[in-house]
Amino acid sequence: MSEEGGTAPNNNNSNFGFSGTTNNKGYMSYYGPGGRMLLVESALEAVSRGSTTIGIKTPTFALTSSYIKPTRPLMEPSEKIFTIDGHVGATGSGYIGDILQSIDELRIEAQKHRLTFESPIDVASLVKHLSSYLHTYTIYAVRPQAASIIIAGTDQMGTQLYQVDPGGTYFRGSAFTIGQFSDSALNLIQQEYSGDMTAEQAIQLSKKAIERAVGEDKPLVGIGIVYAEEGIFKKL
Amino acid sequence: MTTIIGIKTKEGVVLGSDKRASKGFFIGSKITQKIAKVDDTLAVAIAGQLSDAEYLVKVAKAERRLVELRRGFPLSVKESTRLISNLAYSGLKNYQPYFVELLVGGVDGDGGHIYVADMSGAVTGEDFAASGSGAPIAYGVLESVYNNEITNEQAQEIATKAVTAAMERDPGSGNGIDILTIPNLLAVVRSNPKKEAKR
Repeated sequence: MSEEGGTAPNNNNSNFGFSGTTNNKGYMSYYGPGGRMLLVESALEAVSRGSTTIGIKTPTFALTSSYIKPTRPLMEPSEKIFTIDGHVGATGSGYIGDILQSIDELRIEAQKHRLTFESPIDVASLVKHLSSYLHTYTIYAVRPQAASIIIAGTDQMGTQLYQVDPGGTYFRGSAFTIGQFSDSALNLIQQEYSGDMTAEQAIQLSKKAIERAVGEDKPLVGIGIVYAEEGIFKKL
Repeated sequence: MTTIIGIKTKEGVVLGSDKRASKGFFIGSKITQKIAKVDDTLAVAIAGQLSDAEYLVKVAKAERRLVELRRGFPLSVKESTRLISNLAYSGLKNYQPYFVELLVGGVDGDGGHIYVADMSGAVTGEDFAASGSGAPIAYGVLESVYNNEITNEQAQEIATKAVTAAMERDPGSGNGIDILTIPNLLAVVRSNPKKEAKR
């Protein structure tokens, strides 16, 4: 992964391990030219090199699927689909350590909600918590988490699908792709998505999209799905 | 020193209370409000230390608004009760208990609910409940006339009867009755694509 953020010139001359820039008044600034946040952009760049990861939602189900990079013989590939709580699952792309940290944060928040309200957490609250968790890393001299997370679940409002980015930005929608060559995966999904497709069709579509993105025959793909009817997130 | 009651009906919930605030053997106030509205769909009847209860209600009010803004639909009655009781429990564990017994009544997507929450942190869902020094007397009335087919109007009559009976024999209760009715139709009905999909 690149140490430098984007193409902006970096006049950082401090001995500290973060790459803010010193402006003409001599103090540190986390903004780069044009008001861009260089560290966040670097994190997004790291995510765009992560494994191809997809989320698809219709009114009857929400699914996450992720490309599992082949490893050396005798080594087990790391798990990419995570159960957050019974009714919510997530997957991510970026540095696996950062993904796992975000997953832990989500799991703890889900259990906290059960403690305080004695009810399963709604997906919007989970997403907003992760968003503010990630956002804190953009306002201090620390490394933002290089992980985009796709969250799929069901609650009182029906099936839910969100994407949360390293800067804390989040999106709600029917389909997301993140990671390497995610554009070509998204192209295919945009062409073939329909609101009344079956879960099986969506699973095949996500596999096909990953296949196209990574340019590999029969890639190893992890899949998790939750049906509105059933309300339980299951790893396939 | 109080009588408060809560009754669940098929049409909603009814809360009732007397108006006396006692200061030992002295009547401190004859016009006390013991039923506090959290919002249009939720109210709490208070027995015990009024200041403690008011604080809990204020927190519940703020938290309910925050959660509704965050997730886009309101807390259910049970979720609200659990929130309040957790707060009460934390007080107990810190050796500074909130000296309260609360009857939480409200309506949500599943109809009306009455819950009892006290400083021990326990929550129980009930068809009807009474609390305060007049509770044993009020329960006598409630037990003899309650059934789960009653309307809100009938529940109001029962509540009035029960509180009146308690005020007759309990020196801690008196000086008139307050009744609050929350009908089911006030519940904020959220759009539920899950159920729509089934149809």
